[in-house]
Amino acid sequence: MSDPGPVTLTIDGKEVTVRAGTLIIRAAEELGIEIPRFCDHPLLDPVAACRQCYVKVEGQRKLMTSCSTPVADGMVVFTQFTDEEVKKAQTSVLEFLLINHPLDCPVCDRGGECPLQDQALAFGPGESRYVEAKRTYRKPLPLSPLVALDRERCVLCARCTRFCDQISGDRFIELFDRGAAEQVSIAPGEDFRSPFSGNTIQICPVGALTARTYRFAARPFDLVTADSICPHCACGCNLRVDLRRGEVVRHLARDNVEVNDAWLCDKGRFAFSFSDRPDRLTTPLLRERGLEPVSFAEALSAIAGWCRGKPVGVLAGGRLSDEDAYALSKLARTTFKTNDVDHRLGSSDVSAVEAETGMAAANPVTYRDVERARLILVVGLDAENELPILHLRIRKASRRGAKVFVIHPRRTRLWDVAEHRSCLPGEEAATATSLRAELAGAGAEAVVLAGPRLLQSPGAAQAMATLAAETGARFVLLCRRAGDRGALRAGLHPALLPGGRRVEEDDERAAVEVGWGTLLPHEPGRDAARILEAAAHREIEVLFLVGVDPLRDFPDATLARRALENAPFKVVVDASAEAMSSYADAMLPAAPYLEKDGHYTDWEGRAQRLRAVRPPKGLARSEWEIFQELSETAGADMGFRSLDDLHEEMANLYQSAALGVRGGPAERRGSGDQPTQPSGAGGTRHPEKPPAGSELILFSYPLLIDEGRLSDGADLLRDALEERPFVEIHPADAERLGVADGRPVRLQTAAGRAELPARVTDGIAEGAVFVPWNQPGFAANTLLSGSAITAASVEPSAAEASAG
Amino acid sequence: MAEFQPVLTARWGDPEAATLHGYERTGGYQALRKALSMDPAAVIEEVKSSGLRGRGGAGFPTGTKWSFIPQDTGKPVYVVVNFDESEPGTFNNRELIERDPHQLVEGAIICAYAVRCRTAFVYCRGEFVWPGTVLERAIAEAYEAGYLGKDILGSGFDLDVILHRGAGAYICGEETALLESLEGFRGQPRLRPPFPAVEGLYRSPTVINNVETLSCVPHIIDRGARWFASIGAGKSTGPGIFSVSGKVNRPGNYEAPMGTTARELIEGHAGGVRDGKRVKAWTPGGSSTPLLTAEHLDVQMGFDEVQAAGSLLGTKAMIVLDERDCVVDAVLRFTQFYAHESCGKCTPCREGTWWMTRVLRRVEQGRGRMEDIDLMQTVGQNMLFKSFCALADGAVSPIDSSIKYFRDEYEEHVRLGRCPLREESPRLEAASARSGGTTGALAQVLPEGIEVELGEVLG
Repeated sequence: MSDPGPVTLTIDGKEVTVRAGTLIIRAAEELGIEIPRFCDHPLLDPVAACRQCYVKVEGQRKLMTSCSTPVADGMVVFTQFTDEEVKKAQTSVLEFLLINHPLDCPVCDRGGECPLQDQALAFGPGESRYVEAKRTYRKPLPLSPLVALDRERCVLCARCTRFCDQISGDRFIELFDRGAAEQVSIAPGEDFRSPFSGNTIQICPVGALTARTYRFAARPFDLVTADSICPHCACGCNLRVDLRRGEVVRHLARDNVEVNDAWLCDKGRFAFSFSDRPDRLTTPLLRERGLEPVSFAEALSAIAGWCRGKPVGVLAGGRLSDEDAYALSKLARTTFKTNDVDHRLGSSDVSAVEAETGMAAANPVTYRDVERARLILVVGLDAENELPILHLRIRKASRRGAKVFVIHPRRTRLWDVAEHRSCLPGEEAATATSLRAELAGAGAEAVVLAGPRLLQSPGAAQAMATLAAETGARFVLLCRRAGDRGALRAGLHPALLPGGRRVEEDDERAAVEVGWGTLLPHEPGRDAARILEAAAHREIEVLFLVGVDPLRDFPDATLARRALENAPFKVVVDASAEAMSSYADAMLPAAPYLEKDGHYTDWEGRAQRLRAVRPPKGLARSEWEIFQELSETAGADMGFRSLDDLHEEMANLYQSAALGVRGGPAERRGSGDQPTQPSGAGGTRHPEKPPAGSELILFSYPLLIDEGRLSDGADLLRDALEERPFVEIHPADAERLGVADGRPVRLQTAAGRAELPARVTDGIAEGAVFVPWNQPGFAANTLLSGSAITAASVEPSAAEASAG
Repeated sequence: MAEFQPVLTARWGDPEAATLHGYERTGGYQALRKALSMDPAAVIEEVKSSGLRGRGGAGFPTGTKWSFIPQDTGKPVYVVVNFDESEPGTFNNRELIERDPHQLVEGAIICAYAVRCRTAFVYCRGEFVWPGTVLERAIAEAYEAGYLGKDILGSGFDLDVILHRGAGAYICGEETALLESLEGFRGQPRLRPPFPAVEGLYRSPTVINNVETLSCVPHIIDRGARWFASIGAGKSTGPGIFSVSGKVNRPGNYEAPMGTTARELIEGHAGGVRDGKRVKAWTPGGSSTPLLTAEHLDVQMGFDEVQAAGSLLGTKAMIVLDERDCVVDAVLRFTQFYAHESCGKCTPCREGTWWMTRVLRRVEQGRGRMEDIDLMQTVGQNMLFKSFCALADGAVSPIDSSIKYFRDEYEEHVRLGRCPLREESPRLEAASARSGGTTGALAQVLPEGIEVELGEVLG
């Protein structure tokens, strides 16, 4: 597309030059002239329904709606500030909007932050001439457990319905009826089951759509508001956190067109209670008879004692800040002298190290690249569940004309905008080669989004990276959790040091050794699975669990349990006490995202500043501070007196890594610089003993809303969107095995068995079965042996079989 | 000038005219043969020079509209026949179809040929069950006879015609709302530009024409543009069908040259006002055109002439009120119609029509205030030209014009606290009893506050 060039026009006597095609209302914004509006939203197509934004355009017979009229060269525009007719028209539209509006601002959640209230004050008539009875409705209309609709407040701007149509594609709500009875509604018996439903609340310009989590909870003026970054997934959404008396009452999206546009997923919006839960850990605990509260000094000196001269292993979760991850990486290497550190649970692909190295050192793809791509290949990713805002960006790209391909064993919510190629779990990369010609055709305008599923299949991530390199496409290996990318960059990885430097490459390791002023172990360490194995065999005596609960998070519940039973010392660093208090020997209270400074690095590699929104509860503190103190206690001071110290050190190591001509993984491959596999890789896995009669490949990954701990306390969110456990099976397999939709089936794998209701759907590849990772009453890792893919047999449950 | 011979209604006396046989017997489908032998551009040129202007109300030159259709977009071209005739007082399309459906079919085929369209749609008003059936039959006959389908009359020209029935919404007569509805969406008008000629049905170039407009086309091709242009007055050429209703002795559709005076239509064709009463007010083009009075009976019923008199020709639907009729009541009923039919998309129309019904009802029932009259005028000004489509402009017309000509009657309602004509008009008793509780489906959705006219929409 050729750029049509700039256009100069005059608004209220001031000249402004904008891109051709710009709407008058946007051009006015550039001049700081605010034209009132309701239906207009910069991320939605113009609809010109509310008629609030009238302006006069010289030469036009009628007033024009500035939200739908593009600028033209030499155009002369008058707004309400310079033209009486415009002012009168705007006032009259506000009068119309208010005649049936209840004016219940004192009890309305929007009161004090309401565009209708604000604009009525600024531009509206002071008094109403309407003396008739107002239109009323039964209220509120529950659209879902999360979203309530008070129709009498609605101004029918259709922002919410257009969001569902144009942005999320989840067209649950629609305008019903007509004329003065027109109203937003939902089909009888339906729930607004969109994981993006909360955005409609935020963009509602009145108090018609409200969050049931926030209804009558606060007034804008008793909120303390702060900027933050979403702690859930790696999308990096910019948050506004509202606190009332120190407690979070809501998350809102902050606009950032480079990241989340103006959107949040419902998890990011509604799962905010976890840091105010009663099980918050607020003091160090040490196991004497039971877990007893102790001082930090006492706890740290005990832990340092356990570690002295003993083998230590470190497992980290995916939600540490960049600084915490860096400090932990350094702690493990310099204090405990070990590379047995990993933040990846169950990604067993040693050959992915090369791809991961690229991700640790460079930022090859951004949201903007996705948005402007001509071709997007999504492989091994269920974007809506795993990276919901990236999912919206893919949809946006598709609206802009991008061709989208999805390669995934299970149909994803991109089905309506993408060409879907189904495949068995593990065959993603092989299937992708069929798109070589398409990728090559789009060249650098193609983006390959490689999802976490690829790391389940040895070689898959690397194969995708190679395909991308050979066709000229941009490639990114996606991570799922908010801290994953930062952890990778920090070297919470057995084979990688900060900046993606490889442990076993002397020159690369030396750069870190110089920076840290100490020699480092030069053998790659154990990965998560092997750390747990070693712990189970007491080859590791002290197991650090930093924001991770292997019993939930590791794809082999049995191994996790054995490791926790056998390792002599388990040190838990976490914000919440409950889950791991049964086996922890020491617990150190970490500050959640609200209570610390730092950064989260999103899937793009964009580090975004996280600020403390409130002081830590009790003795909780940032993990990096805990690690620093521990290093001092253990006699190996890491030297971090402040966050600035950390930043300086990190910047040195990361920048020199980025400058070190590391390039993308493909470039490295081209240079013949093949990574060798870490020694002993793939060593002592559980031998896969597929049960007799196994014929299906079972795979699992987490759905957006599940039993994850960060959703604890978000009961309405779970009511609205959490699914009961199920097993998905293809109709052909179901028929062959005598499995009926909705009926219970028995799953058997080498690791265990489960009974779940069947969901027969052609949305899953034939030969595969899917179970969600962690839904109420079911944990998929009881069926797994170290990988999220395993062989399984399926049969109707015994009761079913005898009944049949 | 020679006496006018009916053109569009020439076959109306013939009981066989609705059949293919009857139509062909009286020269039907000869124009099509002629058109197919012409270059499509020549057909457009012929229609252009006939001066034919759209009969749906806007009066846009038909040939010009056709010539706007781009042929190089790589997209199909569509022809859509607007048979959603719903304007109160307008019933000529309906009778045209009931009595002579092939005339439209032939006109539509010629139009499609001219703009190189291969699929045409007829959007039929939902309530027109019988006319729709008649037209369906005619289309089937035309297929059978080879006037539709593949290689029409050996010309190599293919055309399919699909009849689509609406679901009962006045707004779907608005061309972009019609397209939305035809595509399966809510019948609400679309943002323009792009205009339908560029991006209409399925975002492809689209011609939308009224039934009467297309019914003229075979005659233009058959007898020539010059002949057509010789009928009528000024820039309103050809014959037109005028729907005359209300307090006249012989309500009905009357064909006359465009530009015939209202007096001739009302007093001549329709037999004058009933019971020897006098005309009090009349609409020239359905209830959405400003009312005129007895003063205006000598206005020529042409597009420009009626506009010069302060109203619009609209759909040529003349609703006649006599001196016994309460203007406020009539306007209330008109306004209730527009409040029913407002699609709800834009604020001034949705809220303005609702507000107006309330004020008018109060005034009509004797609970008005003097300031209500000015209120209605200013609210009307706030609606006029400020809504998304022309529906609200139409809704304002009767209110504004009635206050202009009959302000004293409004004031009399307020002064007396009742309708001054009540004794003479027993119907009004029933009318005033209309307002009441909610009914039907609406009550389930909106238990309070919504009054009966919305209940009728939904119930």
